[in-house]
Amino acid sequence: MKIIVCLKQVPKNDSILRINDAATWIQDRDLTYEINESDAYALEAALQLKEKNGGEVVALSLGPARVQSVIKEALARGADRGLHLEDAAFDNLDAFGAAATIAAAAKSDGFDLLLTGLQSDDHGYAQTGVIAAELLGLPHATIVMDLQTEGSGIKVKRELEAGFFQWVTLPLPGVFTIQSGINTLRYATLKGIMAAKKKEIKKLDAAALGLDAATLAPKQQIKRVYFPQKSKQTQMIEGTGAAAAATLVEKLKNEARVF
Amino acid sequence: MIERESLEVDVLFVGAGPASLAGALKLRQLINAHNEQSEKTGGKSLGEISICVIEKGREVGAHMCSGAVMDIRVLKELLPNYEELGAPLESEVTEEDVSYLTETGKIKSPIIPPPLNNHGKYVVSLNKLIRWLGPIVEAAGVDIYPEFPGAAVLYDDNNQVIGVQTGDKGIGKDGEPRDNFEPGANLLAKVTVFGEGPRGSLTKKLVEKLKLDQGRNPQVYSTGVKEIWEMPKGRVKPGFVMHSLGYPLPNDTYGGSFIYGMQNDLLDVGLVVGLDYRNPHTDPHKLFQQFKSHPHIAKMLEGGKMLYYGAKTVPMGGYFAQPKYYGDGFCIIGDSASFLNSQKLKGIHLAMQSGVYAAQAIFEALLADKYDDAQLKRYYDLVEGSYIKKELYEVRNFHQAFEKGRIWGLIESGLQYITGGAGVRGDLRDVKAGHEHMQKINGAPDPAPLQADKKLTFDKLTDVYHASVEHSEDQPSHLKILDPNICIERCTKEYGNPCQHFCPAAVYEVEEVNGGRRPKVNFSNCVHCKTCDIMDPYQIIDWVTPEGGGGPNYINT
Repeated sequence: MKIIVCLKQVPKNDSILRINDAATWIQDRDLTYEINESDAYALEAALQLKEKNGGEVVALSLGPARVQSVIKEALARGADRGLHLEDAAFDNLDAFGAAATIAAAAKSDGFDLLLTGLQSDDHGYAQTGVIAAELLGLPHATIVMDLQTEGSGIKVKRELEAGFFQWVTLPLPGVFTIQSGINTLRYATLKGIMAAKKKEIKKLDAAALGLDAATLAPKQQIKRVYFPQKSKQTQMIEGTGAAAAATLVEKLKNEARVF
Repeated sequence: MIERESLEVDVLFVGAGPASLAGALKLRQLINAHNEQSEKTGGKSLGEISICVIEKGREVGAHMCSGAVMDIRVLKELLPNYEELGAPLESEVTEEDVSYLTETGKIKSPIIPPPLNNHGKYVVSLNKLIRWLGPIVEAAGVDIYPEFPGAAVLYDDNNQVIGVQTGDKGIGKDGEPRDNFEPGANLLAKVTVFGEGPRGSLTKKLVEKLKLDQGRNPQVYSTGVKEIWEMPKGRVKPGFVMHSLGYPLPNDTYGGSFIYGMQNDLLDVGLVVGLDYRNPHTDPHKLFQQFKSHPHIAKMLEGGKMLYYGAKTVPMGGYFAQPKYYGDGFCIIGDSASFLNSQKLKGIHLAMQSGVYAAQAIFEALLADKYDDAQLKRYYDLVEGSYIKKELYEVRNFHQAFEKGRIWGLIESGLQYITGGAGVRGDLRDVKAGHEHMQKINGAPDPAPLQADKKLTFDKLTDVYHASVEHSEDQPSHLKILDPNICIERCTKEYGNPCQHFCPAAVYEVEEVNGGRRPKVNFSNCVHCKTCDIMDPYQIIDWVTPEGGGGPNYINT
């Protein structure tokens, strides 16, 4: 079984965020990065599937040189090799562009399972995996909590709303977006990190993937980014219980107009 | 018994700070030059020598906090093309101000006292510098492993240091291994170099076990607390350097402030407080907030926004407080061995230089294939024959002069300056450890809590948030209180639980449970400054390394 896991590098969730001068995204100066949370669970799921069924785990990441660190982390945890999709043309992709790039790379490398996290912690589109599946013409399942091989296909557990789950069996190859917290992440060992240094990371650019400017052009744009504005206010009402209650009713009626 | 993997390297550095990175790089350079030469001349090559650096932080630089005025001589020597490589030096020092603050006023010194003259030095963020230097050292052929703290020193039967055991990962809060438990490995090395910064947790144990501090002054420290502010565009002059004495520190408390202008409109503002203060209610973080509220400083910060927070300790003991920093199979470098000029409050160049001399000595040891005390004494001899010795020796009595307070300290250190370090009393070797200066509360009420306005002044928790601190919650506390009964039965009455005050990260509290009281340790707030391990009056707090990757994620500090 050959599994490609997509790992997005995102700003660390405890970063001090500032908005860029154009107010279109956060400032990328002074940020540190990590593997997107649900992608890390996708990687663990892939490693566990490989341990059970054999095969290969390929760690794929899309972005500038710095994203090699997430590929290296995956290799240290046990992935077999890396794919790094890097090109100046990939700098400003929306979910469609990213999905098209990933789909092209995955197709050229070949796979049985393509795993992504449920959504990214920075943009949070939750679209990339699904669009990639559509572009590849493959079945997909989202918010996956468990994967078990069944014959030549795979049986997956999907999270629905209100605590309900659904088991679905799909043929392979297929695309699956993985929920956070479904397994226990392993640590990279010193030995694993040392071994990772000898593993291959293959670089692919737009030309190698046969992607043209029209495919990559963003179809969606962020107009403005701003911090949530405080709209709540708290008032303390003084006085005895009865008087305070009367004031409260009066305020709810006339100021807040709740009845 | 946990089964541990053993991995062999040739030289192991513990802690990826300026001392280790400089040392590892120098060693790699020496070995490469030697091997190239021997290839040409047919001499004996050293072959492949593996140099390894382990680091407890999430990434190289994550635990680096020192907004500094730096002497860049060692950087220049190691990397002559440092400019081309894009070394993140903020600016050469352009403007200096040394002042004395009264409660509301500021008296500017008409001249810059010679020890504080920073002409030709650079304002840097040690954090940025190390984040930049790490990949360069790695590319040169040094293996750096972040998220791997050193948990224990390994010795052979003759007490020769043979390596370090890295920390276990995946131990739950209850002390039991979790599903993903990963035991630490035994990293074995011919020479182990400890560059853990001030009060290194392994260095502390090593010094104790081998009695490396015998006949030395006890080490004394200061705690520095700081914030990085983003100011309106154009207001900050890179290279601006201001130091002050006086307010808000009382006369019997050592310390002073610093303000440095950085690139990108950032201002580095901080206060250093000596950890040999008298009043057990002394709170470096609160004093720093008071400092910012001084009319002159508040005006300077007006319109700005606090971005980052950090705290660290600084070894101030100087030459006489240096432990014996070499021995069978090991060297101690940088702040861990007190390579810091306490008068100028400068240690980065000395840390790097000590790393470089250790590298030279280790290189010679590799050539001789001997790693014992006698061989590694070469490191000590190199230091003693260098400017480090001269620089440290001239100020060997500096911090001791302040034991009697600021006024006397200023006079006496002035006399020391004139007399080449001896001063009027000769060498000052009768020194107490910092925590021994703490006086009892004698019934004094708890101090009023800080009233933070969240614009200019911040409470500890808000500040800690700006240090991006993170520890996995499901692990045992890495701050071991060796006897919690002392906290309640003795300390509350005698010292008023000063851990609540001296910790700059709100780690310590005393909580009421079922009518009783007990210490509560919020270890996940810890910024790894070690103030508690140093200043606890009973010396019952033992700071050990948490799970790898835990701690602050400092940026620009």
